Amino acid sequence: MLVKIVMELEDVPGQLLKALEPISRLGGNIQSIMHQRERKTPLGRIPVMLVFEVGDRARLNRILAALRARGVRITQLGEREGAARTTALLIGPHTDIRDTIDRLDALRGVRVSDLSLAMGGLGQESAARMTITTDDEKRASLAVSNLQRIAARKKLLLITSLEAG
Amino acid sequence: MRLVLVGFGNLGRGLSRALIQKASFLRRSHGLIPRVVAAVDEFGAAVDEKGLNLTRLLRVAGKAGTVAAYKGGKRGKFALQVIEGVEADVVYELTPTNIKTGEPGLTHIKRAMRAGKHVITSNKGPLVVAFRELDSLARRCGVEFRYSASVGGAVPLVGLAKELLAGNEIREIRGVLNGTTNYILTRMSREGAPFEVVLREAQELGLAEKDPTLDIEGIDTASKITILANSLLGMNARLKDVKVAGITRVRPEAIRLAQEAGQTIKLIGIAKRGSLEVGPKLVPLGHPLAVGGTLNAVTFELDLAREISITGFGAGPRETSSSLLGDLIDIHRTLGG
Repeated sequence: MLVKIVMELEDVPGQLLKALEPISRLGGNIQSIMHQRERKTPLGRIPVMLVFEVGDRARLNRILAALRARGVRITQLGEREGAARTTALLIGPHTDIRDTIDRLDALRGVRVSDLSLAMGGLGQESAARMTITTDDEKRASLAVSNLQRIAARKKLLLITSLEAG
Repeated sequence: MRLVLVGFGNLGRGLSRALIQKASFLRRSHGLIPRVVAAVDEFGAAVDEKGLNLTRLLRVAGKAGTVAAYKGGKRGKFALQVIEGVEADVVYELTPTNIKTGEPGLTHIKRAMRAGKHVITSNKGPLVVAFRELDSLARRCGVEFRYSASVGGAVPLVGLAKELLAGNEIREIRGVLNGTTNYILTRMSREGAPFEVVLREAQELGLAEKDPTLDIEGIDTASKITILANSLLGMNARLKDVKVAGITRVRPEAIRLAQEAGQTIKLIGIAKRGSLEVGPKLVPLGHPLAVGGTLNAVTFELDLAREISITGFGAGPRETSSSLLGDLIDIHRTLGG
């Protein structure tokens, strides 16, 4: 899952490092850090927005506890959309790829976030690679099983990720 | 130990060469003195209760195309007569696979067991068609039954799972089990060559059959998944229970798209209780199953050990003789030799 937090740090050197260390130590993968100096609080603290990926809720809780134990004040906490991602290939005539994407996008918490097409030669089938971003693992497997049904109906060969089961 | 070889094609010859080459090793390290007392093929038989000279057998069979050309050999259909009539301890069933009927291997194996002979086979057909029946027949007849060479060639899947990982519950088995399709997919991914071109090349190299249907449609992999499900997961599965997709629709462009996302395409067989499946899958580059060329690779998912992966050569007469010989030594030990 992808997590966004806003924390307030004292404006003295070494504070950021102190906050980042437990995140990476406990398995968080930091994706972006943004200082919001212009929004300095009345007490002189600086809000820092942080986005990181973490395996599950239990791990996130451990990270949050570690941060609090270090005196880091967390003012905002939210799960970002796009917690789970899976890649799939579809082989066949892609005359209505838009329809396939629309059907997936219609599912709650599911979004086709990337699409690449490789057109086959004359009379040959084309290949499409899709990245499907979902709010969580459960929705990812729901999206894959929906895609399986769509592929079966449109006679497309669906190649899913080994990990997708 | 007195052996009967039924089938003298690539595997029978490969085994014979290994028996010649390893004779003193087998005696020294395992106290095992194998003696081939009969060899049968579809054209005839050679029998010598004192033991056939394997070097001579390989030479004459190579020249004449049948073991019947051996001194004192006879032409005709003798498989069943030899299996039942010749005094022996172990019957090697090495005839070509027929996954629909299992024959002639199925009858050979049953008759051998009923005649009180231990059986070692590389033949997928009988195992796919009648695994449970053969397994219980062996027990009823009080004989040993081994089939390591039927799945994974040289890769010791059955022994690894049944012996060394015996303390685990196997949750899932997944793997690359067909060297021909893996060769085709590897060549397509490395060179971007079209499917038809690579297939023709594989046929010229002898890696693919003249009729490659069983390989490229995923049926060979499905047979192996059926055998693994029955022998290692305790299932009673048939070939028709496996959901199968082959690789004929996989184009180099599709593999390129996969590679751009850090993945490759492999034909993967998956066996878990309640679901048997074969089809092309996206596998991350560098993953234990992302093996190249004609290699096989299998991952066992286990309750205690978590994951164990094993890789090796899935075909070839010399490589497969490793499994055929291993089974013989195993029987020798089981019987207290």
